[in-house]
Amino acid sequence: MKKLDAAVLAGLILVGSALSLAAGAARQIKLAIAPGGSVNVVNNCGSVTLHPGNQRQVVVNAATHSDKVEVDANSTPDGKRVDVRTHALPQQKPSSSESSVDYDIAIPSGVSVTITTATAPITIESVGGDFSLSSGTGPVTVKNAANARVEVRGVAAPVVLSNVTGQVEVTSSNGSVQLTNVSGSRVRVAATSGNITYHGDFSGGGSYVLSTHTGAIEVTLPPSASVDLTARSLKGSVENDFPLQAKSHMTFDPAAGRSFAGTSNSGSSSVELESFSGRIRVKKQ
Amino acid sequence: MNCKQFQEVLPHIIESGGNPDQEAHLQSCRECGELVRDLRYIADQARLLLPMHDPNPRVWNNIQKSLAREGLVPEDRMSRQGHTMTNSPAQKKSWTPLGLILAATAVLALSLLLVNYRSTNPANQENLAPPVPDNSPATAANADDHVLVSQLAQQDADVAGAYQASLEEVSSYISDAQKAVNDDPDDSAAQEHLRDAYQQKAVLYQMATALLLE
Repeated sequence: MKKLDAAVLAGLILVGSALSLAAGAARQIKLAIAPGGSVNVVNNCGSVTLHPGNQRQVVVNAATHSDKVEVDANSTPDGKRVDVRTHALPQQKPSSSESSVDYDIAIPSGVSVTITTATAPITIESVGGDFSLSSGTGPVTVKNAANARVEVRGVAAPVVLSNVTGQVEVTSSNGSVQLTNVSGSRVRVAATSGNITYHGDFSGGGSYVLSTHTGAIEVTLPPSASVDLTARSLKGSVENDFPLQAKSHMTFDPAAGRSFAGTSNSGSSSVELESFSGRIRVKKQ
Repeated sequence: MNCKQFQEVLPHIIESGGNPDQEAHLQSCRECGELVRDLRYIADQARLLLPMHDPNPRVWNNIQKSLAREGLVPEDRMSRQGHTMTNSPAQKKSWTPLGLILAATAVLALSLLLVNYRSTNPANQENLAPPVPDNSPATAANADDHVLVSQLAQQDADVAGAYQASLEEVSSYISDAQKAVNDDPDDSAAQEHLRDAYQQKAVLYQMATALLLE
């Protein structure tokens, strides 16, 4: 009886292992990419994480969670384009959890990346390049990206950009947008009902525009910030706790409680804070 | 009397005139008056074309003889005009082919006029026309949003819900901004908000379409 029990147990373990392997699998794919090449990733569910790689290649580590989807990863013969895509197998209709694939992708510098997800979080860290990120509800996080061009489009996806320099454009409907030490020649954030928070000095002599419909805008500046700042809320309110010098020439008539404008230090960067009916607050760090 | 009641008796009016009520409506309603004039003109023109000069009696004789040789008709005595007369007491009147065509054309024209006639006098409408559907841009936009969300729901209900909420927010943004621009067309801030609102809606549609096409 004991031998029979052991045999049954071993059989169960073997079957369970086989099932787990069939249900989820991890694989690694290495693809050559030319300098200035582009990487396109499409993965609706799961996660996508990008980090710097060491060689002139894209290394894709993909972990699936069911046998109803597969990962296609290939590159063009000239290495200028790499495509990584999750798709359902023929005649399969996987659920969200079954479609989930977790990607960990290493890319070299100087590569442009396009990532499209529905619910999968996108995380990019310490990578420079061009990034075009589109997410329905999955959070988008970009950290430590120097000389980057970052474009983010979200429906209800929270967006967090931290220590990013370059050009930034964020369009968010209901998701919040949090910018910390984000600076460059052009930074534009537009949200509908999502709140926008900015911590930093608006450095670089660039143009910064933060705009919402009903979302609040909160900006915290250090005293060293050199800005030409304008804040206007058509139907909402504005508050200012940051010392600004009155501008010699105004392009609009400031209305108490609805708008104000002024400069700090040499007024290098242009900062426009606009809201239709949200509250705008400018605070000193 | 209204136009609907008048049209119901229109053939009778064309043929033999109308009663005082009908005449009064005819005089007061421009549309019905024009219709009656058009129909009477058609009827008059058709009548002018109907009378045909009968062919020479020798023609009828030859036709009669040919038909009799074939056994298709019995040999009968000829009428005074050279037409065949049968002994049947109930002789049906026959039309010439051209007369048939013209009569059919007149009937068709009358039918088309009656079918396509629509009174433009609001007092006589009496809800004849069906209600006109609301084709305003706002209604069309809401319909598009609904279609988009319905399509997304087939893929993922949660994602569709997020899109629906965002589309409602953006539509509200467009509405608010449009009102602000209408209130002050020179307000550049309002104009910029309106542009931003439309751009955000465009982004939502682009993202949703890309998701549906995956």
